[in-house]
Amino acid sequence: MVPIYFAGIDIGSTMTKVVIIDDDENIVSQVISHTGAEHRRLANKVTEEALKQSGLSFDEISYVIATGYGRINVPFADRQVTELTCHARGVAKFLPSVRLAIDIGGQDSKALKIKDGKLIDFVMSDKCAAGTGRFLEVLAPTLGLRVEELGETSLRATKKIKISSTCTVFGQQEVVSLLSDGEPLEDIVAGLHDAIASRVASMARRLKVEPDVVLTGGVAKNSGVAKALRESLKCEIFIPDEPLLSGALGAALLGKETVLEALEKGEPVKRGEHRLEEATFFDQVE
Amino acid sequence: MVNAAGTGLIRVKEIYRNREQRVKELKAEGKTIIGYLCIYPVLEMLTALDLVPYRMFGDMDETITSADDYLPTMVCPFLRSVLDLGIKGKYGFLDGVVMAHICDVGARTSHIWDVAVKTPYSHFIDVPHTDRKISRERLKELLQDFQETLEIFTGKKLTPAGLKESIELHNRQRAMVRELYDLKKPDPPLISGTETLQVMIAINSIPVEEGNNLLKEVISEVKERGDDVPKKSARLLVWGPVIDDIALIEMIESLDATVVMDDTCVGSRDFFADVPLTDDPLDGLAYRYLEELKCPRTFRESNTDGVHRGYKADLEARFGYLGDYAKEWNVNGAILQVPRYCDSHGYEVPQLKDYFEQISLPNIYLEHDYSKAALAPLKTRVQGLTEIIG
Repeated sequence: MVPIYFAGIDIGSTMTKVVIIDDDENIVSQVISHTGAEHRRLANKVTEEALKQSGLSFDEISYVIATGYGRINVPFADRQVTELTCHARGVAKFLPSVRLAIDIGGQDSKALKIKDGKLIDFVMSDKCAAGTGRFLEVLAPTLGLRVEELGETSLRATKKIKISSTCTVFGQQEVVSLLSDGEPLEDIVAGLHDAIASRVASMARRLKVEPDVVLTGGVAKNSGVAKALRESLKCEIFIPDEPLLSGALGAALLGKETVLEALEKGEPVKRGEHRLEEATFFDQVE
Repeated sequence: MVNAAGTGLIRVKEIYRNREQRVKELKAEGKTIIGYLCIYPVLEMLTALDLVPYRMFGDMDETITSADDYLPTMVCPFLRSVLDLGIKGKYGFLDGVVMAHICDVGARTSHIWDVAVKTPYSHFIDVPHTDRKISRERLKELLQDFQETLEIFTGKKLTPAGLKESIELHNRQRAMVRELYDLKKPDPPLISGTETLQVMIAINSIPVEEGNNLLKEVISEVKERGDDVPKKSARLLVWGPVIDDIALIEMIESLDATVVMDDTCVGSRDFFADVPLTDDPLDGLAYRYLEELKCPRTFRESNTDGVHRGYKADLEARFGYLGDYAKEWNVNGAILQVPRYCDSHGYEVPQLKDYFEQISLPNIYLEHDYSKAALAPLKTRVQGLTEIIG
């Protein structure tokens, strides 16, 4: 039997992720690239890169699902599914016993309640940067650090400094004042991680936290935030090897399910345009 | 789409686009126009005295500027918007206003109105917040007080017979609205959520008798419809306070969802309970406005005799009617929509979510900014709900 392939593309506010799987659900290719203003238009390039890696042509991809903020303007997708459903599916593949998934992305954070691998409830925060990766992106330069260095730095903290402000802009002012007070850098960073974790944890608690808990999104790569979240939720938190990919992986898996369901029912698969072209913008679509 | 046989829905859309046109015409004819906020001012008393009630709304497209001089920015954006429009002179055609203690901000808005806007007549009804017998007696006294101020303002006497006649007229409107909502029970419904809201806003903008004629036309038109409303997977119940613009419902219905039922205060909430005709009409009014109107501004619990019956019984006492709606309208998901800082509805959300979980109804909580521009990010949440429903 000729293997068939499914692709998921997750266009987030900061990063665009593509995953291609085969019909045994093995990942044959994965690409993570910056979204940016122009990259959004060029989502097809990221997909081409993923195809190149796997040695596949676009025609060999049976089904494409687009997700994330940029999901609307992807001409080569057969279907659009929210990042909520896709993340839940991707996380359940990583850990089938998951009941709560927390995703801290560049623009929003969300908590997903999952039962038997399916999304059953969720909360999202996207009004304010304070519980997101942007909070750390804004504050890192103030501390003279790169975002990637924050996690390790905070693990060297000897005490925790309470960052009282939950607002990114005021948080920056508070950090500047702590620096001028001579507080150690690592203690301040640990305080920032606590602030982000407590904000996300209180959002997640609205869903009544039940283990197992999985953390995904770019911020999951920050070991300091993960540690603070473990302490705040008082439970173990599992992190996939590549926490950025759960949305794209979930999209690819849902694509496979869509095709199988149609085949089982003997119905034709509902397809989108399935053309590997540049994405258009919202106003051009609507 | 409109049935060729009737013009009811066309008229509805005209009124929706230009709400104040009819009352301005009536004012030019010498009628007295009384603005009111929310569903607690007793309209039956206004109609009985030949006053024209006009529901006051905000404007999601108008940036709030002038109201910030009087109300803090972290309170209900709807009430801030209403006050803002008042200060900017957009309610200049009103001869008076009636407001009630819906919430603290609503109460203050009433008092600030007298300072910042001023209308020849104004009255504030301090409606009690529990549904106990003593509160009902108190509300009756407050309605007597309201009646006296209206009589002084109009120079007319409000007779029990006149009031009863007005109650019957308003009850007729309520029955017709329920008839319209019955047309939302089939799948697909005969009228969409967006159209329903337009109808409700229209009848909140014209005298009750004209509203009844309009409803009659709309109902017969909608009954004759074919497949005007598309079939969608999600049949939703929308809960929350005032929705005075179709933007939110339109956004929901642009997805795989139809709003088939609501419990909002421009929608069904004010129309699903009649005023009983009692010997003293004020008894029936006090009963209906306090016990039958299911708004979170009135505290309701199963403990009416000092005996606590537990959380489940409390949830049933507070939200059981929503479970009935869900069954009757074959609802498979709910949206709890609340404009930011609406405390009285916000307080209900955790318990209401528990209740919906108890009856296995998927639901989401949508907090919004009372601004059309801020609706776009909410679309993902609504789409997420439709995906949960499947």
